Amino acid sequence: MSVAQSDAELAKDALGGSEAAYRELVTRYATPAVNFIHRFTRDRALAEDLAQEGFLRVYQRLKTYDAERKFSSWFFQVLRNITIDYLRVNRLPTSSLDALEEEGHRAAVIDRESASPEQAAEQSELAVVMSAALAKIRPEYREVVVLRYQEGLTQPEIAEILGMPSGTVKTYLHRARKELAEILSESGWNTNV
Amino acid sequence: MDRKQLEQWLAEEASGRDEAADAACAHLFTALPKVDPNPAFVEQAVTAALRWRTRRRRLVACAWAATILLVAVGVALVFLGAPRIATSVIKGFAFVSGRAVPWLLAYTTVAMSWWLTLGHVGGVIASALITPGRVVAVVGVELFGLLAFYALQRIAGAERLGDAQV
Repeated sequence: MSVAQSDAELAKDALGGSEAAYRELVTRYATPAVNFIHRFTRDRALAEDLAQEGFLRVYQRLKTYDAERKFSSWFFQVLRNITIDYLRVNRLPTSSLDALEEEGHRAAVIDRESASPEQAAEQSELAVVMSAALAKIRPEYREVVVLRYQEGLTQPEIAEILGMPSGTVKTYLHRARKELAEILSESGWNTNV
Repeated sequence: MDRKQLEQWLAEEASGRDEAADAACAHLFTALPKVDPNPAFVEQAVTAALRWRTRRRRLVACAWAATILLVAVGVALVFLGAPRIATSVIKGFAFVSGRAVPWLLAYTTVAMSWWLTLGHVGGVIASALITPGRVVAVVGVELFGLLAFYALQRIAGAERLGDAQV
């Protein structure tokens, strides 16, 4: 049985010309990349296009990757730059309810296999509410929330990607959660308080 | 993701236990639906990278070929025409400098005298016009203009960033 290679090893092999190594890297990061960008663009096709651009840029700049750094930090830094560049140039509409509902329906479809219709409906509604709340918070807060909770990165890694002190990331996360909680409470989802 | 997970997180948040709230929030997010890229995504990304690599290799090969060609042509020219070229260059240089140097000296002398005259006239005008009050007024207007320009730039910059959602 072959031992799975680390991202850094794959990057090194890809730089050496290994197509299989690059393919493995893309396979590992395709879903996180599209999801990361999708949180900001709210457009699946656009998220895929930007993610494609991100992978190409990563390939073009593999020489500059420092294997001492975590690959995911470097990768998300590239993705973030591409997303910011795009959003600065193009004025995007704010998240439409239709898009959020569509996401909720997809969630329902995913969960329906393992849940009752009532549970599926509730899960779908919760997914919509969470996505809507996430779309409402400040963009810099959304960024750290997505990197921390959606992509599972640590605070120092996020700090490296965003180029800010780790303490600031912690503060942003704290404030972001507070804002999210307030939005959800105002929407009537908090029955505890 | 279910209501219980959400309520647990909100309860942790309300209680002020930061680490517990962080963990509960992370747990909640793991259950959020993910957007799956289309099945051809990986293939498209790999194809794009390989195409870029092929183009780059071609470009590098062309650049090498052009460099080698240029060097070869240069070396050949030097070997074949060096004596003739050197003679022509020296003759040309002597001809041009022999005619140009007297003219250059004459023009420089005239220009220097004009420059000195202008300097004298400028000094007279400046001493007549410039008073401490006027200097303060001019500097003040310039400072005000610079500040206004800086404020405009800040406003324009803020608007540009406001357009972006990140």
